[in-house]
Amino acid sequence: MKTHKLFEIADQVTPANFEDVMQQAIALELATIPTYLSTYYSIDRAQDQDALYDKIYKQLNDTSINQEVPNEKLAEELKTDILVYANKAAALIMSVVVEEMLHLSLACNVKQAISSSPDLMSIGQTLKFPAELVGHEPEFVINIGKLDLDQLSTFLQIESPDPFTDPADSPETAKGVVKYKTIGRLYNMIIECVNENYPGPYAPKPQLLPNEPGKPPRPFYSQNSVNTVYYDDKHKPVFGSADDSGDLVGVYDAASAVKAMNEIKHQGEGNDSDDHNKLEFDSNNMPIPLPVVNGKVQFKPGDYDDPAKEELSHYAKFLEVYSLGVHYKEKFEAIAGIDDFFSYFVADQLPNQKQATYNLGQGGNQEEIAWMSKLGNALYTYIILMVETCYYKDEHTQFQVFMYGIHKSMIWLLSDVGNAMRSYTFTAPDGSTYTPSLTFEFYDFSEASGSPKEQLIDIAKSLAKSNTSSDSNVDSESNWSWLYNDEAYLPSLPDVGLDHSVKANVPEIPA
Amino acid sequence: MATEIKKGFNPNPNSELHVCMGLNSCKGQGYTGKNDCAGMGECSTVSHPCHTLNECKGQGGCGLFGTTEEFCHPPENECRYQGSCGAPILNSRFIVQGPNKGRSVWQLARARFEEKRTASNQKFGAPPAGEFGPSNEYISELYGETTVKDHSSCGQSGSRSCSYIQNKDAREAEAKANVEAMEENSHKEIDNTLSTCPKRVY
Repeated sequence: MKTHKLFEIADQVTPANFEDVMQQAIALELATIPTYLSTYYSIDRAQDQDALYDKIYKQLNDTSINQEVPNEKLAEELKTDILVYANKAAALIMSVVVEEMLHLSLACNVKQAISSSPDLMSIGQTLKFPAELVGHEPEFVINIGKLDLDQLSTFLQIESPDPFTDPADSPETAKGVVKYKTIGRLYNMIIECVNENYPGPYAPKPQLLPNEPGKPPRPFYSQNSVNTVYYDDKHKPVFGSADDSGDLVGVYDAASAVKAMNEIKHQGEGNDSDDHNKLEFDSNNMPIPLPVVNGKVQFKPGDYDDPAKEELSHYAKFLEVYSLGVHYKEKFEAIAGIDDFFSYFVADQLPNQKQATYNLGQGGNQEEIAWMSKLGNALYTYIILMVETCYYKDEHTQFQVFMYGIHKSMIWLLSDVGNAMRSYTFTAPDGSTYTPSLTFEFYDFSEASGSPKEQLIDIAKSLAKSNTSSDSNVDSESNWSWLYNDEAYLPSLPDVGLDHSVKANVPEIPA
Repeated sequence: MATEIKKGFNPNPNSELHVCMGLNSCKGQGYTGKNDCAGMGECSTVSHPCHTLNECKGQGGCGLFGTTEEFCHPPENECRYQGSCGAPILNSRFIVQGPNKGRSVWQLARARFEEKRTASNQKFGAPPAGEFGPSNEYISELYGETTVKDHSSCGQSGSRSCSYIQNKDAREAEAKANVEAMEENSHKEIDNTLSTCPKRVY
């Protein structure tokens, strides 16, 4: 499949290309969000544990090979391995997604303050998967796709704090050659340019700002939610992010701009200490995992992004998910009769699926899948539009757009569609079947009449009416009509125009 | 006949709207209308699943989606769709962000309620399902369900009252012990919880 280059990392950042480079940095931050989210939605993080136990127990009983421990005990152990890992992997990925949304806002604040408003819709229009980050020499492919070791390898390459050796190169050509650049080095070049050329103070413009005592609420960022929580093997809650790991930063001068960009660097790559784990590849071109001792991955001080060493960097979080994934995959492979570790909780999704493919589906529920995909793309694009619009509006309007628009769209709407798709089966024109997934394609609202919000509601209505299944137990319309019939969902979204106009549009309180 | 709860349904339709057991402000304003005093209502008179889905001021259940400031003041949202989580608030729900991370949402809500009542010299009684908040089983029985349904509100990370032990009795015992440990710790730390919260300025 053809790959799409997101941007080129400049060799040098100067006032002449500053605006373009900041747009490139924003493009990078934005690209990580659908990449990580697509993987998050592939995970069934809280499945029925009794059904899972029964499945594993039966598989163990069906094989004639005796295990060292009784099948009952082994099935319980394996079930717990799956449930804890699935929930942990999802929570850590979601905690990174949340911080990538923060990084997107921080990069936008810097561009807004120093040069011009962030153009997120243009980035959304050009962002197509599979994608590449040109500038990492050589390039590597970024897919949207399910959780597996290959996808986690990509995550590690995106977030690597160090230049790393190309796994595809032969040792001879790679020896002693550091060809790669990192995202952190891009920000270092921007910081140098800001310090030399843009001391400030900068003219005040709308930015997404942190809460301040005595000011109206700015509910734009919170590092933890219930979705960044997972439970250990004793079912004690663990929180994905520390409270002191970062927040929004208002950019007013060089010092605050540098602070914002250092926050991006530290959350992504760690706290600048040399004493951290590095990305190295084995002979199969896969990252070398860290050892797992008593179920825990051992980290170094530089792997954390906060002073209290309570939160791992993005890179280290992914290294933990990867190392544990390798550990459990090998453990399951060594036990006769049971399936691949990831198959118990990851949907059978293909990478880089397209709306056009879903439009050609065969059989029952295929039209519904196509409309779900379309709604997902429209919501994804609407979220990008809403974030961009915040950079043109006062705080009151930003509050309305965030509280009634972005929060609902992320937590409820996109999430409900993304998770629901796991329970469907897509039948391709060639007869092959697999689980459908969100395609994260730009939805061009300018091609149809009506505001973007009106188009969202129209798509939802088409989705609700799309079920042609003869199965009387499947009622698509009642499954989806809540989207537009319940005022708390689509009807209460702010009506945001492509010209950044905003009608708050919160329905009246019932009498 | 048992009452079945529905979204936004209130079996005591003339009552005030509040988000959980023990948070009503007057006699007869609880879920059934049979409570003798403020703070003695059996359950919430509103029901909604989560963040930004509340219909009115003061109906956000709190704790699961939102900011540290919001989590410090359940259920003091100013307006429709500004609540930070669902109602009712079960005893197993813990705060997921800020200095009170891991502590009981219901106990903080009740402490805020008692603070206000005390400051204005208004009486209040003991909550009917105990000092740590209503369990899922209590809510289910109150709603007249023939089988226990999940009333724990939103989120994708699974039940907040559970265990991975396969033996059902042992599983239930560990789940209960985990919730009780959280309740006890939250009770012990309630003064810290109140003091570490930033003051509400809006």
